[in-house]
Amino acid sequence: MIEVMEELVKGAVSEVFGTMLSIKTKPDKSLTLISNGDPHIASSVGFIGDVTGVVFIYSTDSFARLITSRMLGLRTSEAIGEELVNDSMGELGNMVVGHIKSRLCDRGMPCVLTIPSIVRGSQFSIEAAASATRMVIGFRCDAAEQVAIEVLIKPTDGPQP
Amino acid sequence: MGRKILTVDDSKTIRMIVAKAFKTFDCEVLEGSNGVEGLAVATREKPDVIVLDFTMPIMDGYEMLAKLKSDPDLKSIPVIMLTAEAGREQVLKIAKLGVRDYLIKPFKEEVIIERVSRVIDLKPRGEAVAKIRNFDDEIQLLIVDDKPAIIDQVRNGLADTKWKVDGANAPGQAMDFCGHTLPDVILASLTLPDNGGYSLFQTLRGGVKTKSLPIFGLTVKTDTDQQSKAQQSGFTGVITKPIEFEDLKTKICRTLNLDTSLRYFLQKDGALVMTLPADFSQGVANEVAMYLANKITLAVDAGIDKMVMDLSQLKKADITLIKLGLSTIQMCHELSIKYSMIGSEAVCQECKNYEETKDWRLVMSYQEAMSQLGVKLQVAA
Repeated sequence: MIEVMEELVKGAVSEVFGTMLSIKTKPDKSLTLISNGDPHIASSVGFIGDVTGVVFIYSTDSFARLITSRMLGLRTSEAIGEELVNDSMGELGNMVVGHIKSRLCDRGMPCVLTIPSIVRGSQFSIEAAASATRMVIGFRCDAAEQVAIEVLIKPTDGPQP
Repeated sequence: MGRKILTVDDSKTIRMIVAKAFKTFDCEVLEGSNGVEGLAVATREKPDVIVLDFTMPIMDGYEMLAKLKSDPDLKSIPVIMLTAEAGREQVLKIAKLGVRDYLIKPFKEEVIIERVSRVIDLKPRGEAVAKIRNFDDEIQLLIVDDKPAIIDQVRNGLADTKWKVDGANAPGQAMDFCGHTLPDVILASLTLPDNGGYSLFQTLRGGVKTKSLPIFGLTVKTDTDQQSKAQQSGFTGVITKPIEFEDLKTKICRTLNLDTSLRYFLQKDGALVMTLPADFSQGVANEVAMYLANKITLAVDAGIDKMVMDLSQLKKADITLIKLGLSTIQMCHELSIKYSMIGSEAVCQECKNYEETKDWRLVMSYQEAMSQLGVKLQVAA
């Protein structure tokens, strides 16, 4: 399952970042979660059904602002409120996980999405239940920026690929 | 009247993206953050199309759509569903709901414009406001020519206007430019490699945002084949090289319905001043004559009873000038407006030779003209 999810995450990130932000992404296994003390933001969307889990998109606060300005066609010098950044990052998560969900449905694993939620802070980490399968993929974004995607999958009795 | 597009999405980001996409069109984008708000706005505003999200709190897209379809007043409003979930099952479910179309997130701005334009006729906002724009407003021109000298020439030739001239050396670059800035007018060379000018024209005519954009072909005066080919292809017009800039300005003004009266008329020192330019021609005379009655009426309405005709920039007096002068004088007589005329030496001299103009009392300066009208101007220290 984890291999399937890795492939779906890579496809979804490439599609969403390319279409909505005109940002080229490249998976980079050497990149991990951000833990340098800088303010960062995590957007999460869950999926529940034959496959159940949650996807987190981590980025620095400054890159999240750039993402928001790109999505909305705003100048980077314009003041962008935290609420708008949260909403844009939530929508970005919704699109990424929506893309993954559609491919899971097509593979006979129907599921529904949860509404997006946002976590902000300088030092935080997400702890998962011991039984959950965890995967982290880092992406270089136009060379200068990076995001990390963390996927937690709960084992279920549903169909497996 | 502009069209109304209702976007119903719990994400402010998506509502802003939709609003941004239609910013350049003559339409109003209304918003609702869930099905309940969406229904309320739809009932009140009767939008021409609804762009509806599926997953929303309070009332989701399915329920809102069902309620729309059961309301006799709202059921005919076309709905385009917007969803991040594109599985086959989901698409089939959407199709059964009676929506006009559906759009999968992520989506490009051009795609949502294209889908909405299949449902309603979108007109660029410029068409609606062009009539109230003035010659002195900033007009955006895009010159598409592989010769940088031509782009520079146009830029220099229009330097006396507030118009902004940008250049593109190939059709691809022009399309990129139109993607982020919609020009008011395009001048495209008809001699670009591989018929680039014509293919650019076709591509722009096929785009929702650019289908009504005025596009002039640019070619040398002697190349009559290209000129007739451009006319047959549907170009707005042809500008010939060497470019006559007054002719170019006139063509652009007419195409964009620009109010050019400020070039010739202004109210100053309690008088209406009509200034004829050095390049006075039959075209200019027609333009001035077109505004004349209205300008004089507006001046009288504003309590002005004096007029100055400034002919000092002209190098000769011909029949066109004489006709315009006589009709202006007649209007002044009819409305009891005092008038005076300023002329260049050549015009003063020539006017003495014509029966119709021998009595014109031309003076040599604005101060003298105002003095003739009984207005003493303070001389700057």
